[in-house]
Amino acid sequence: MKIIISILLIIASLFANDATIDVVKKADSLPGIAVEDSSISYDQTFRGKFFKALVADLNVLSIFNVDRNYRTVAYDASSVSVENKDINYVLRYKLSEDNNRALNVEIKLISKDNIVFSKNYKVNSSDIYMFVSHTIAFDINEFMGEASVEWMKRKVIFSKMISPQKSELVISDYTLTYQHVIVKGGFNVFPKWANKEQSAFYYSSLDDKKPTLKYVDTKTGKSQVVKSSDGMMICSDVNEDGTKLLLTMAPKGQPDIYLYDVNTKNTKMLTNYGGIDVGGQFLGKDNVVFVSDRLGYPNIFSLNMNSGSVEQVVHYGKSNAACSVFGKYIVYKARETSDSFGNNTFNLHLVSTETDSIRRLTAVGVNEFPRFSVDGDAIIFIKNYQSQSSIGIIRLNHNKNYLFPLKSGKIQAMDW
Amino acid sequence: MKKTVVSSVFVALLVLSGCGDKDPQVEATDSAATKEVASTRAAVETVSSNNNNTSAVSDSAESSSEAMARLEKELKTIYFDFDKFNVRADMQANLSADAGVVNTKASKYFVKLEGNCDEWGSDEYNFALGLKRADTVKKALVAEGVDANRISMVSFGESSPTCTDKTKECWAQNRRVDFKLLP
Repeated sequence: MKIIISILLIIASLFANDATIDVVKKADSLPGIAVEDSSISYDQTFRGKFFKALVADLNVLSIFNVDRNYRTVAYDASSVSVENKDINYVLRYKLSEDNNRALNVEIKLISKDNIVFSKNYKVNSSDIYMFVSHTIAFDINEFMGEASVEWMKRKVIFSKMISPQKSELVISDYTLTYQHVIVKGGFNVFPKWANKEQSAFYYSSLDDKKPTLKYVDTKTGKSQVVKSSDGMMICSDVNEDGTKLLLTMAPKGQPDIYLYDVNTKNTKMLTNYGGIDVGGQFLGKDNVVFVSDRLGYPNIFSLNMNSGSVEQVVHYGKSNAACSVFGKYIVYKARETSDSFGNNTFNLHLVSTETDSIRRLTAVGVNEFPRFSVDGDAIIFIKNYQSQSSIGIIRLNHNKNYLFPLKSGKIQAMDW
Repeated sequence: MKKTVVSSVFVALLVLSGCGDKDPQVEATDSAATKEVASTRAAVETVSSNNNNTSAVSDSAESSSEAMARLEKELKTIYFDFDKFNVRADMQANLSADAGVVNTKASKYFVKLEGNCDEWGSDEYNFALGLKRADTVKKALVAEGVDANRISMVSFGESSPTCTDKTKECWAQNRRVDFKLLP
């Protein structure tokens, strides 16, 4: 009996950390949390917006059952409101505006009438209140001892089509609540952060005679040309320290993957197949995962940059046209139907390079452009469904998806 | 030349200071914010001045532009099947006619082939598919005697639809290669 139990425990431990295995947690087993507003400044509209943002962020944490009822109470009241007295946690916040019109936010997390966590925040404009909300959720998550949600505080950059051959590059928070158009006018696509700090980005301009890769410093707004190529010029990935880029170029009409050294400006051709090779993603220091139609349909392959050997890494699906890599995991987009005259479904799937298991992450619509968060905790993607474009977040370890719709336009590409 | 304005990012202005109860608050640095706003204006002004130069050039080239626009209307779009980049049999006649125009009336211009796809996918693969369509047309033109050095290519993926309805006719119209003439 002991041997059987030991074997079962070993098997369980083998799969315990495999994100390709579905994790289904019962919502009832999560602790409850309610939010109380104690604000002394701002009108009810703004207070309501802040409340909704905070509730949404707490929900995305996926570690609480979040009570959506709006309640007000004095910040220094010794007990929580009557309706919340049986809820495990109460997050109370106070918004106040100072003489410099800065937004000040005080919070306290109350459990069983005890203040278990408190913190103050300040930003110089109430317009960026959503970043305070994201940071509060991040801090609550840290306090609860959960895996980091650093990605919540990061910025998303996306290209938005506003009409044929006209696009805007927009920087936003992960919920699309804050949006700042950073490149306006022209036909610009495929933005990509240039470094971990998100202080600069690359994008492809299609306005010039040849597709051109440009680099923009977000603080100065200065733009510079990196490189041009006939046909295609896209920055697919940036390595850890921002010194190497994987580019898709087609100087002779043939889309292939190239390695570009930011310091020396040298370019090295990595693939030379006669069909389509695109979308290179760094996998460690020596390997590149990419999309190729070398088997007659788009699929995901890996290339060893030292030996030049190519290996198929995804064995499910007949049209897998995009992917993102984090450690041993690959998330890829698969076309589920191939109807040239009807609505097609594209779903995201997660595979591990170490096991054969596959996990489907989405169910309906066109789900594409998957990108792992910097810590691999979440996947961000574009969902186009029933004429609406949204940014989706998948919490892998919590088996939950969240969607944040774009009010107008269509998201063409994005990076996180 | 299309007008492009690059602005510095407002989000960089935010100074988000989270601090524990007993820690001193970090004040927003107004000087940094002012500097960044100023640099935004500078970037916008620079682009505006470039734009003025462009309009002066376009005035003198107006007659040539008209001639090119007239010839472009004679060049027939080449359409493709779903997820394919080979030239269909029913498009061969269009392609031969296009090669004739490029070799005669439009012989003094460069040709830009713009590859396009339907809306099923906005990733790099879709752009590559558009480019392969343009490359197929380029090879056919070269086979009909057009100098390869006169031809450049670009792919717009799904981002330049001529039709935005959700119908099979509409999607078929977007799987295409358009001709543009360049001086």
